[in-house]
Amino acid sequence: MAEKPKILILATLSGGYAGANSVGQLRKDYPTNTYILPVLCPCLFPEDFYLRAFERGIDGILVMYSGTDSPYKGGPERAAEIINRVYPMMKERGIDTRRLRLVAICTVCTGPFLKEVNEMNDLLQELGPVRRERSSTATPQPQTVQSRE
Amino acid sequence: MPETSEIRRQKDSQSNPQGEEIRIGVYTCHCGGNISDVVRCEKVAKVLSEMPNVVVSRTHMAMCSDAGQAMVEEDIRERGVNRVVIGACAPSLHEQTFRRTVARAGLNPYLYYHVCLREQDSWVSGGDCEGATEKAIRLMAAGIAKARHLKALDPIRLDAKQRALVIGGGVAGLRSAWDIARRGIQVTLIEKSPFLGGRMAQLETTFPAGETARELLHDLIERVLAHPNVTVHTRAELVGVRGYVGDFHVQIRRQSRGVSDDFAQAQAEAAIAACPVEVPDEFNYGLTTRKAIYRAYPGCTPATPAIDWENCTLCGKCLQVNGQGIDLENKPETFEINVGAVVVATGFRPYEPRQGEYGYGEFPEVVTLPQLIRLLALAGESEGLEWNGHPVRNIAMIHCVGSRQIEGIHEPQPDGQVNDYCSRVCCTATLHLANELRGRFPNVNVFDVYQDIRTYGRGHEDYYTQASANMVRFLRFHAEEPPEVVPAPDGDSCPVLVKIKDYLTWGEEIEVPVDLVVLAVGIMPRPIDDLIKMLKISPGTDRFLLEVHPKLRPVETAVPGIVLAGTAQGPMNIQESCAAASAAAAKVAVLLGQGLVELEPFVARVDPERCRGSGQCVEVCCYEDAISLQTFSVNGREVQRAVVTPANCTGCGACVSACPNRAIDVQGWTLEQYEAMVDAIAADLPASEVGV
Ligand SMILES: Cc1cc2nc3c(=O)[nH]c(=O)nc-3n(C[C@H](O)[C@H](O)[C@H](O)COP(=O)(O)OP(=O)(O)OC[C@H]3O[C@@H](n4cnc5c(N)ncnc54)[C@H](O)[C@@H]3O)c2cc1C
Ligand code: SF4
Repeated sequence: MAEKPKILILATLSGGYAGANSVGQLRKDYPTNTYILPVLCPCLFPEDFYLRAFERGIDGILVMYSGTDSPYKGGPERAAEIINRVYPMMKERGIDTRRLRLVAICTVCTGPFLKEVNEMNDLLQELGPVRRERSSTATPQPQTVQSRE
Repeated sequence: MPETSEIRRQKDSQSNPQGEEIRIGVYTCHCGGNISDVVRCEKVAKVLSEMPNVVVSRTHMAMCSDAGQAMVEEDIRERGVNRVVIGACAPSLHEQTFRRTVARAGLNPYLYYHVCLREQDSWVSGGDCEGATEKAIRLMAAGIAKARHLKALDPIRLDAKQRALVIGGGVAGLRSAWDIARRGIQVTLIEKSPFLGGRMAQLETTFPAGETARELLHDLIERVLAHPNVTVHTRAELVGVRGYVGDFHVQIRRQSRGVSDDFAQAQAEAAIAACPVEVPDEFNYGLTTRKAIYRAYPGCTPATPAIDWENCTLCGKCLQVNGQGIDLENKPETFEINVGAVVVATGFRPYEPRQGEYGYGEFPEVVTLPQLIRLLALAGESEGLEWNGHPVRNIAMIHCVGSRQIEGIHEPQPDGQVNDYCSRVCCTATLHLANELRGRFPNVNVFDVYQDIRTYGRGHEDYYTQASANMVRFLRFHAEEPPEVVPAPDGDSCPVLVKIKDYLTWGEEIEVPVDLVVLAVGIMPRPIDDLIKMLKISPGTDRFLLEVHPKLRPVETAVPGIVLAGTAQGPMNIQESCAAASAAAAKVAVLLGQGLVELEPFVARVDPERCRGSGQCVEVCCYEDAISLQTFSVNGREVQRAVVTPANCTGCGACVSACPNRAIDVQGWTLEQYEAMVDAIAADLPASEVGV
């Protein structure tokens, strides 16, 4: 079986997770290599959480937060700030920054959900596995990545 | 000053006994074929059974059935299962069911994890059985990984004050107050204006049953005022809030009424007549004027007039009629009350058209629907309808003004957003008035200019049918080509023309000469920015207040103990406002009824041994009093450590990502759990699992 890219979807219960359930209600198909984890607010995840996930072999991460509809004050802004700080760190490690995307998905945003998932999947088909990217660059800096372990 | 070891002991007493063997029970539900038609459940169960810590792995036709639940309970009791993972439908449907199942068997309900295999796998994977099965295995493996790190948690229990605050004395606030009071809970209702009833008092007959708004309202107001559990303050506003669900300390500022309650009726009339000030009367949407000492309308509650402090010139003319009972000094007072829950019922305001929008503010012949209602009320029994000194024979009513706006076509509101929502009540209200006009003034022609007719409620469609039968003429425009209101050429019988590209006649350009244009303006929330900030609740992009979940937790805000009622939450008619208000009251009653409030334990928790007191968590936290630095003594040395106040923490996790020492986590959603889940998803499946 050919290895399919693995897409991790961190989806807020008040946004993306509910949106994914709405997609299910409509029985709209999307690729199966998509793994949705529920989150309260993605401002929980520090920078190295994302780097660590790529290091473990997650090929793409979609953070589906609730944007301005978030019930958590300041959470969306903070999540965006963190993710903006992750991009240069990804670059440093030779990881294509398009592998990480923050998108606002509401409880009924079925169209945007499907679009994001399909686009990420297409992109990852084109980019190939994250492992290859990482191994083709000079030594990454595992120290930063693992400082939290 | 507490010792850190003391906190440590408290922490340990709540976590799992050291060295406990983790025994996970894993269950893959067929969901009667919903899952198993696509996912090979037996295969999933077999693969999972070989994973570390898994002691039983089973499938069932319907895990939520009595038999399915009994199976889990038996495994907990008989086989020592102490963590449970179920893969089934969306957690929003049955997570709570299975938490209860687990608790019934004596296990802590938070030692349960729910995986969605239906909405997020079998229903979205088409015929890709292989892919869907692999996905199910990985998702379940992630659930198992999380389960290994689950800790027993206790809901947060707090004493609840047996009083609720209702903000807003419109129909929704009144209805909530009445329902809460009847459940034996004290209620304080505060209304900003001097009179009760809100916008409903400004209506006359109402759809759908044609009842008179003020009769219904007065009946409700009387019941509320007579109830021993209710205290009402008019002219009162919230100015401060501290605390949390079960124990909010709210500060209320009340302005003087200026007139004492025992002021006699006859004297009141004379005092009002004596006042020389005339200002536009907001009750009649500026169609008439009122005095600076005034009543909202005849028969309003309270009946005692009030002084409008903004417009009163302190001339003292009213005092000359009878000085006793009138005090021309506004002495606002601020007081604090302690409440367990808050109902926000601050209502709506009609959309105010822009200067020049469909001729509004340019031509006196252009009015709004709420103004038409007042105009018809003021017309009383008169046989003909007059406006601006002229008889009215032709009326155009334009729908969707300030609603269903489209970016790029409509000018945005001051905040940059267009009102893209449907205001829901205006279609039926317009048709209701069109019928009233045709009934009361048969010589008046009514042209109904609409985009779509949305008479969605029970009995509402009758208004459309009746309007058609009543010879109301319908013209239909497209949003991109809205009608225009222009002055009629000199000598025309009517002052203005409404120009419409009418799609009922395949795009014919039609000009309708009319005497009055009525704009069916939409509903917008009242500006309550201060209140939003104080209560820390959130508006949506449409500016209406946001509930946690429209289906599963309607009327609840993300702030525990604060609920919504009526049009503060979105466009609603009276029936819907009252339904929402009763729902809000039920939430309050459930919350406070037991004397204790229970909160989900998903709040931040500090590990005092890792905490170095950097304070970054306190800096990033957006919630007041949720996390703070406190001084502790460690080996005789004073140190700062972060301390969470669980009742104020929402569990957003901002502090988790901010902590440089990884000393803080959101219970039930820890980083360690997430990392384990990611690892499980990323892991290569053993050879035996490939080729599912
Ligand atoms: C033109 C028109 C016609 C309509 N016709 C009908 C009809 O025929 N049938 C029908 O079912 N529905 C009708 N409706 C809808 C109906 O008016 C509303 O559903 C209803 O009035 C909503 O009540 P509410 O209590 O939510 O809001 P409101 O009536 O707006 O009450 C809110 C109250 O809160 C007070 N307040 C606001 N802010 C604060 C604060 N910070 N502190 C304290 N108090 C505050 C306000 O002063 C007000 O008294 C119509 C609406 C319009 C616009
Ligand atoms: S209820 Fe009718 S008039 Fe009002 S916004 Fe909706 S469609 Fe337009």
